[in-house]
Amino acid sequence: MQFQKEVEILATREKVWRFIWDVDRFIACVPGCKDAKTVEEGKRYTAIMTEKVGPFKVEFPTTIEVLERVELTRIKAQATGTDNKIGSRMKIDLDVNLREQENKTIVEFVAGVDILGKLAALGHGIIKRKADQVLDEFAQAVKQKLEGDG
Amino acid sequence: MANGSSRNSDRQTIPVSFTLNGRLQEMDVEPHELLLDVVRDRLGLTGAKRSCDVQVCGACTLLVDGRPVSACTTLAFEVRGSSVMTIEGLADEGKLHPLQQAFIEHGGFQCGFCTPGMLLAAKALLDEIPNPSEEQLKHFMHGNLCRCTGYKKIIESIMAAAKKMRGGRA
Amino acid sequence: MLRRFRLDEPESVAEVSELLGRFGDSAKVYAGGTELLLAMKEGLVHYERLINVKKLKGLGEVASDNGTIKIGALCTHHELENSSLIKQSLPALAQLEQNVANVRVRQAGTLGGNLCFAEPHADPGTLLIALGATMVAQKSSSKREIAAEEFFVDAYETSLEADEVLCEIRVPTPGPNGRSAYLKFGYLERPSVGVAVAFNLINGNLSDIRIAVGCAGPAPKRVAQAEALLSGKSKDEAARNLAQAGALAGRASQAISDLHGAQDYKEHIVGVLLKRAFQAALS
Repeated sequence: MQFQKEVEILATREKVWRFIWDVDRFIACVPGCKDAKTVEEGKRYTAIMTEKVGPFKVEFPTTIEVLERVELTRIKAQATGTDNKIGSRMKIDLDVNLREQENKTIVEFVAGVDILGKLAALGHGIIKRKADQVLDEFAQAVKQKLEGDG
Repeated sequence: MANGSSRNSDRQTIPVSFTLNGRLQEMDVEPHELLLDVVRDRLGLTGAKRSCDVQVCGACTLLVDGRPVSACTTLAFEVRGSSVMTIEGLADEGKLHPLQQAFIEHGGFQCGFCTPGMLLAAKALLDEIPNPSEEQLKHFMHGNLCRCTGYKKIIESIMAAAKKMRGGRA
Repeated sequence: MLRRFRLDEPESVAEVSELLGRFGDSAKVYAGGTELLLAMKEGLVHYERLINVKKLKGLGEVASDNGTIKIGALCTHHELENSSLIKQSLPALAQLEQNVANVRVRQAGTLGGNLCFAEPHADPGTLLIALGATMVAQKSSSKREIAAEEFFVDAYETSLEADEVLCEIRVPTPGPNGRSAYLKFGYLERPSVGVAVAFNLINGNLSDIRIAVGCAGPAPKRVAQAEALLSGKSKDEAARNLAQAGALAGRASQAISDLHGAQDYKEHIVGVLLKRAFQAALS
């Protein structure tokens, strides 16, 4: 599943870039994500991603690897996780691009999301909708955190 | 898994008393046991089949108080106080039920895998509607799938049995 | 095989509510089990306790009370399809119930269970919205009525609180001019698109029209914009607006592309079914 989101943030590129690497604050923007830890600064992080669709709950202990990093411009990362209780795997390929525009920063997220295993039984459509919602909430949370702090 | 656990005494069991093919059966079941597993594995009646396991194919059909149920998705304790019929109980002391006879005479089965469920569902149909139209028959039997026959012979068999059971000749 | 769980068999709704409050997410109401047991077998959910509600009294009847038909949440689809009261007063519902899943599911599955599990590809919710039904939910000490169109929040999610029990479904008895129809389309095991229409036809004019779409999206929805195009019109005028109403209803259905079909395909089918349901209701 592919998703593309763009969010306009009233903050400088430097500020946005710094925010992204402030792991705790950044991870806090992902709905259902908790226990963010730095394994190797700038390279590897772990977190726990939880999601709920009605009575169906998943908890993915996730590893996030930063694959590419272009200062102030681009991050390419991959997050993978397995929920053994429910027999499902999750993989997210994330491409984040920052663009300066006057006094704003345009952040573009391109996410490829793959859910494998039993959870897929819920139906591609339901999962897609959920993933879309999560990414929307995430983008909005990042915007609010950055703009709110002044 | 831990051995010698005293958890065994914690395990909830439910006493289930029911008639099975006309005979009284008494046993204890745990709440999570499925009727299909109890019938096949504990009672040794393997006519009912686990096929789709999601209630759509009918190969596990049993009759509980004359009503067709998916044994794969029925908890065993639910038959307490009821009468249960499996395919092994359809014939009367070796004398074939008219439905069984009709399926033989009209070619209503090939591999036979769906047949136990098919026969019990057909019995439930004819008990409810002794003179069904073809449309009523198809509607009732909609949830029993067959991969071999293409259904035509099954319909003929059931209609013939229905006629016989109503007193006409097949 | 299912994972082990404990079975509770309370005899009052208050007890059920108390158990739900106490055990939270680790307990679940169990009636017919036709949806719940499938999810449990699949390993998608696990509960430490199942609360068997089939011993609750008074939740398994259909009765007429002062212009309202009251359906107990524990009524099975089979009971509803054969209920003379339902067949007489709500023929569209009787027909819907007759076509739920298959004969075995209809024997075990309850209307309440169907509504509470809120599977997107289900029938009754859509028609109940069009019929203006309300759901009666009870907790330990209080009761409330929820309009059907507010009952379904999202896929597998209703507006019931964690310790609330659905007890009854109330449908206003249609008058002599009441018309309704429910049509569904699907070629997989579960329906892919469902459309319900209900209105009063007085002297050739439509009033009190309600349209609902389901199965295509995550939850059944009432489509007020489509209703507005047909309300107060003569049946011929309304018929001319059906294509537009159908397009509105299609978009309102929040159709999701999946194995049941692409989004635009489902939206198209909504339009087709709306037209046919309208005609069926008139005939």
